[in-house]
Amino acid sequence: MSSKSHAEVLAAADGLREKDDISLVDVLTLAEASIQSMKSFIDSLDSKVYSEFREIAGYIQKTKSEIGHLQANDLRSKRIPEAGDELSAIVTSTEEATTQIMECAEAILEADTEDHEAYQKLVNDKVLTIFESCSFQDLTGQRISRVVETLEHIESRVGRFAAAIGAEDSCDVLDEKEEKREKRKKDLILNGPANDGEGVSQDDIDALLNG
Amino acid sequence: MAVDLSMPVLVVDDYKTMIRIIRNLLKQLGFSDVDDAADGTEALGKMRERKYGLVISDWNMEPMTGYELLKEVRTDDGLARTPFIMVTAESKTENVIAAKKAGVNNYIVKPFNAATLKSKIDAVFGE
Repeated sequence: MSSKSHAEVLAAADGLREKDDISLVDVLTLAEASIQSMKSFIDSLDSKVYSEFREIAGYIQKTKSEIGHLQANDLRSKRIPEAGDELSAIVTSTEEATTQIMECAEAILEADTEDHEAYQKLVNDKVLTIFESCSFQDLTGQRISRVVETLEHIESRVGRFAAAIGAEDSCDVLDEKEEKREKRKKDLILNGPANDGEGVSQDDIDALLNG
Repeated sequence: MAVDLSMPVLVVDDYKTMIRIIRNLLKQLGFSDVDDAADGTEALGKMRERKYGLVISDWNMEPMTGYELLKEVRTDDGLARTPFIMVTAESKTENVIAAKKAGVNNYIVKPFNAATLKSKIDAVFGE
């Protein structure tokens, strides 16, 4: 509402209050003035609301497009399960190879050394099996590369989505199960294996224990 | 005090391969009576049924960790004096300090070798 039309309406209303005889024309004139003043307000409101709705629609459209780029269904139904399968296969193959190598070492340690020829043959056979078992490393390397590729894919998609919608990290996002797991880790000091340069050496540990 | 190679040793680890590695290393060091358990709860049950001369335990296991096992052992009058070596990948200072406070006799960080295992066992028994 403009200040001029608002002042006009107020003046007309004051004028009417002072009159003893108010005609219908006077009332209609006041009503018209009121409507005129409200119209400009409603018009300006309409235009502002319309522009805001347009802005929201544009944002929704952009977010929908970014959600599409996120490829959430592809991640959930294909890439993440495949990466999980690769990791399971790595655990299985390393365990199998370690078991085979240990079996060979145990057989050599327990072998009868009296029969020199038989002992030599057994050692040769077991050493050959150890070499064969070590081939797991090549396959494991390839599987790890594929898992790293998936993680990079997820990082790139999520990063782009977060940037596009201007996402900010919330503080309390852990569900009940995750909270319980985090609390257990904290209470029982479960840090897991340290990365290079993070943990303390055996010498440092000895010093801490004896200090 | 000389290390008694005939004493029963309990190896506690949730990873079968690691139990096998430690069993083989102990065998090479001359120990003949080696038992194992997959976590702290199983170990505690075995320790209450049989007296072990040494416990070698991992830290990170479920449901009961090696750290919890150590604290349980040290507060149990019948088990409190059992020598306890932690063998673990947990190598943060806070872990070592917590284990020391809980009464661990020695602490070995993974990966380790036979010489380290031998020297820590010797140290526990004062050799």
